[in-house]
Amino acid sequence: MSAVSPGSMVTGLMAGVGMALLFGVMDASAKPENLTFLEKPLTPEQIALGKDDYVEFCASCHGSNLEGQKNWKRRLDTGRMPAPPHDASGHTWRHSDQELFAITKFGVGAVVPGYESDMPAFEDVLSDEEIIAVLGYIKSVWSDEEREFQHNLNLKDGRAR
Amino acid sequence: MKRNTIVAGSVSRRALLRGLVTCAGLYLLPATTLAAVSESSNSAIAFDSNALIIARGSLLLYRDRDRNWITLPEMSAGSILTLATHPERPGRVIGGLDTGRIVLSVDGGKSWDVRGQGLPKAAVTAITTAATNPDTIYAAIRGDGLWQSDDAGQSWVFVMDRPWLANAERDLTALSSVDLATGMGGIWLYAGTDTGVTRVPDCFCRWQDVQPGDAMDALASGKQATPKVPLPEGEPVSALVSAVSRPATLYAGLPSGIWQSQDAGVTWLKRSEVIATALAVHPLRADDLVIVNNDGVLQSPDGGRTWTAIANI
Repeated sequence: MSAVSPGSMVTGLMAGVGMALLFGVMDASAKPENLTFLEKPLTPEQIALGKDDYVEFCASCHGSNLEGQKNWKRRLDTGRMPAPPHDASGHTWRHSDQELFAITKFGVGAVVPGYESDMPAFEDVLSDEEIIAVLGYIKSVWSDEEREFQHNLNLKDGRAR
Repeated sequence: MKRNTIVAGSVSRRALLRGLVTCAGLYLLPATTLAAVSESSNSAIAFDSNALIIARGSLLLYRDRDRNWITLPEMSAGSILTLATHPERPGRVIGGLDTGRIVLSVDGGKSWDVRGQGLPKAAVTAITTAATNPDTIYAAIRGDGLWQSDDAGQSWVFVMDRPWLANAERDLTALSSVDLATGMGGIWLYAGTDTGVTRVPDCFCRWQDVQPGDAMDALASGKQATPKVPLPEGEPVSALVSAVSRPATLYAGLPSGIWQSQDAGVTWLKRSEVIATALAVHPLRADDLVIVNNDGVLQSPDGGRTWTAIANI
């Protein structure tokens, strides 16, 4: 687990916010009225980039269809939990944008101190804009209901504003 | 009725027993029942509004609102290891059995409906209702994990493996739904294990240690979070309850005594040397505790400072 330097999470998020300000032409499937990250609309280009990065860096554990590892609720022999799904059957949509960004960039320990996970920190692998793109792609597969639920978490999470 | 009040700070086991013997004459429990009960240390207790229900071994007792004790019919489906009620369902009692089933009563334990079909055939070691939804029940199964029912025990789904603590999976010894927001659109489930307390959000993303509420902000800002004062490391937790009327108030029963937290488990303070194998908090009065231990049933009106023996079982 990479150590989180003081203020680095906030700095990273602010950089992410800047990238999320990019606007483009939205396609119908992206549902632009709902698809945002840290309150900023996501573009189809970001979603496409996010899908490519997801396939390259995430799908081997979280599944090519975001279905997660088999028996993901059952602990591995190592004591760690398998990779959960990112679709509606999982719990990703129960985390705010802020938390999702922090988990992806710094590892799960950034939101649950001391937690041991097989998921690495992507701080040295993906740029902030790539992390936002990947998370945007994941959000793009959620239903309006899940997206609205997660959007309300963002509003309650003062750190995301 | 004269009460037998005991100050926890100076209580000795002998004094406690003397008090219990004094009280014993007030209750008409059959001697044969008492003998049978002494063979078992399994116990459970829950408030049903102002009434109480207690399970110990195969014995089931009910104290109604007028403080009359009733010995309930013995259950054929197994022995109750854990009990749960909900303030919005007066009269309804849910029990987890050593045989791996769930039983539900809607008449204060006079009759029971066996549920829990689909659950693994292993002991139900802890059970609780969701603080925000009386028909949602969580059950911890020995050697398996945590299961959830959203229809008052008719159907069940597996939701979470057992917590991993001190390099091993741990069975749950106690379970309490704590009506405090997780930040994930739900509330917390706290659990006792044989090596301390842990908790999981009701979206079941991961078991985790209790953290101060400002821990994330502190992490981001580089400031110090509120310091933790945890329970004694490694002690088994035999009972763990959140007060419905004041959810951040928790009580835990450990071999070292009864501990209280008023900040959802960030800091703990020992309130009593009395040992509890089961513990319940009145739904409206967060300082009103009842416990079961090898000496009987005791009640404290002041969060564990003083105790009164209320039954000799």
